[in-house]
Amino acid sequence: MKVVTGVVGNDIHVVANRLIELSLQARGFEVFNLGVNTYLEEFVDAVVETNADILLISSLNGEAEGWCREVKILKAKYGNLLDNVVFMIGGNLVVGTGDASDIIPRFKNYGFDLVFHQIDLNTGLDELEKFMKERN
Amino acid sequence: MSKLENKLLIDVGSTYFKLCTKDNVQQHFRDFNKDIYDDLTYKCADIIKNYNKENIHICSSANGGLSTLIIGITNSFSLKYATNIAFNSGINIIDTVLFRDIEKTSIPSDLIDVVIVVGGIDSVSNIFDERLFKFLDGLNYSNIVYVGSEKDSAFLKENIQNLSILPNIINEKLHVEEENLKEYLTNLYQADIMGKEDIKHLYNITSNQIFSTPYIVNKTLPMIDSKFKVADPYILIDIGGATTDIHYSKDLVEENMVTENEYDRLVFKKLGVYKSKESLIFAAKNNEFVYELLAHLKVTENIFEESSEKATRILMQLAIFLVLCKVSAYRKAYVNLKLNALNSIVLTGGITKVLKQEEIEDIVTFFYKKILNSQHNPTIVMDNNYDVWTLGMLEK
Repeated sequence: MKVVTGVVGNDIHVVANRLIELSLQARGFEVFNLGVNTYLEEFVDAVVETNADILLISSLNGEAEGWCREVKILKAKYGNLLDNVVFMIGGNLVVGTGDASDIIPRFKNYGFDLVFHQIDLNTGLDELEKFMKERN
Repeated sequence: MSKLENKLLIDVGSTYFKLCTKDNVQQHFRDFNKDIYDDLTYKCADIIKNYNKENIHICSSANGGLSTLIIGITNSFSLKYATNIAFNSGINIIDTVLFRDIEKTSIPSDLIDVVIVVGGIDSVSNIFDERLFKFLDGLNYSNIVYVGSEKDSAFLKENIQNLSILPNIINEKLHVEEENLKEYLTNLYQADIMGKEDIKHLYNITSNQIFSTPYIVNKTLPMIDSKFKVADPYILIDIGGATTDIHYSKDLVEENMVTENEYDRLVFKKLGVYKSKESLIFAAKNNEFVYELLAHLKVTENIFEESSEKATRILMQLAIFLVLCKVSAYRKAYVNLKLNALNSIVLTGGITKVLKQEEIEDIVTFFYKKILNSQHNPTIVMDNNYDVWTLGMLEK
């Protein structure tokens, strides 16, 4: 399965980004890592160019909140090109403190299928694999 | 200049001829009522007769270049990569169509020299469909090349007549692979020059290949240190009669493009001080800061109606300002350069013969203050003797 990943917005947590890439590869995914400081449209364009199954966005400084409100608008713009793509986001998703019980539904409402706020990487990827298995 | 011994270099621009010998560089205003060859040989016969064909080297930007239409599937990858390669191949006129919007896109009525179709990494298939063929049916073009996923090559070949197929410009890591398409476009450009009535007669005086001027300038950039005190990252601006070229260090761009070249090129096809004067004035009138700039230069907009030396100087100053605006975050263009990280601005072309260094510094300071709200001041380097061009011609 193909995964496009990277860090959204003006966020440079390169170490976590690399760890995500390595962990995905270790689990057998074909990974397209766009790196840090990536714009939302670039993520979606990479999904289209690679025909990826999953878009996994990460965020550390909480900028995700600002950027990811546009996901629904982008999905509408791209039409059926994104119909079967799983949208996942993880990391620290808001600036300051926040409660996962508020944050998760909010990000799902933005258009994400899987949302992980302050959850460790392996737990998040286990959940992703489970989700993909059930879906297929 | 030792490499110039016995050589004559000629640059044919839209407004001037420039000739460089070991002794000097001279320029001649073109007579637009005459064929380029007739005009050149009439004005410069005394010099040309001293050189044999093997020692005359010509580059030209006067033929307008190829018009290109790129059809791709995303803005961030296929369209951006192909556009970047086209600019770096010396092409000036580039339009793009996003495949998902192709049915809503009006079909250009002008003849397109080359259509580039691109999209997807090699493992992806079924990217294009009938919508592409329908669009192409209505389009008037001379050449078409496919540089997308290899899995779609056979299908497209079956359905598009005279389709050239080259290796994908997007590799399996989503990085750009530019060499094959660049070579194809450069060859097409050369073939186009050979076919142009105006240019082909120039082969009567040279036995060497005629190159496009932007191609030559791009070759010079890695060697620019040998002639000028330039600190990286820098941009080189060539404001011509018809177009304005910018060559920029890649360090100035936050890009997802990974290429071997250190420098990219961008062209503003309707920003020049002679042939494109009207569109330059139009662009100026649409920039809300230009009136403040005119006041700063102590002139009014009536200067646009004048045809004087002073008016030309003002137009050149405006051109510098507009070009910087166009590549800054102030105007969303094909690229936004990190101009606060810029260390040098190199100016080449006719502008260096007209404007003084202080006049250019004044405009650049005005730009940084008004548009970027910054005190940053990159060094201005003037290529007064067209060394950028001669260096590239001798090294190519």
